[in-house]
Amino acid sequence: MGIRLLIYLTIIAIGTILGYEEKISTNVGKKLNLIQNICLFFLLFIMGIRIGLDEKVIKSLLSIGYRAGIIAISTIFFTLLVIKILTRFIILKEGENRFEP
Amino acid sequence: MSLKILLSIFAGIGLGYFFLPSNFLQYTDIVIDIGLCLLLFFVGIDIGRQKDIFSNIKTMGFKILLVPFGIIVGGILGGIFGGIVLSMPLSEAGAIGSGLGWYTLSSMMVAGYSTELSALAFLSNVIREVIALILVPFVAKHIGYIESISICGATAMDTALPVISKFTDSQTTIIAFISGLISTISVPIILPIILRF
Repeated sequence: MGIRLLIYLTIIAIGTILGYEEKISTNVGKKLNLIQNICLFFLLFIMGIRIGLDEKVIKSLLSIGYRAGIIAISTIFFTLLVIKILTRFIILKEGENRFEP
Repeated sequence: MSLKILLSIFAGIGLGYFFLPSNFLQYTDIVIDIGLCLLLFFVGIDIGRQKDIFSNIKTMGFKILLVPFGIIVGGILGGIFGGIVLSMPLSEAGAIGSGLGWYTLSSMMVAGYSTELSALAFLSNVIREVIALILVPFVAKHIGYIESISICGATAMDTALPVISKFTDSQTTIIAFISGLISTISVPIILPIILRF
């Protein structure tokens, strides 16, 4: 995983430098969103194939869906809680209120 | 977008389940690696093109960094709490929570660990993104702008950014991008660490 992580970060860094130095042609730049979407949907498709090939996962999709929902809701709730505490006591403690509705 | 996501996955599931032999699984590893590297490369280009990002961090100060910090802590705690409720290994649940809504990367990163956990990481983070996108306007109006960024996790720098921009102000949008960026970078670092516990 260590080497893989290094590869991921190196690739992001190379992309960042190329983007910053404007080495990417305007033509490619304009199509960036489309290219990203194609990559994303292709990955999702392959991800689907992996799920489809695993009968155990297919059979437990209902139970996975229920568990996934609980973890997702719990994650959102705790994120809101931690950020609420941080904004109240640290981020906005000097009486700033411009980020409040 | 949500429909296209669902269609891509279900087309893959259908193809895998009905047509492909089970030994095809071994070839998907390299395909995923190549696809993921391409995606990360283009994400990098996107980050590099936002030249103001680093000077904005300086202007607004270190307090901005507390937002992604809170997002990461909240994500891990939420995952662990979900794990307690579901009686599943807390390291696995915490790792799913630390995916911060980035479903492609988090599911791919645990794919080698177990396919079921990969599916759980994927579904959980997809559901998180969808719920977050729906909740942004409500949270921005009734709880706070920064809180509305936080629920989006890593997606605050891409898919959720237009929604955040529409329902908050320009300064919050910049914070959302910075926060989403740091959250995004943190996922491939923190997820394997949590999974190892």
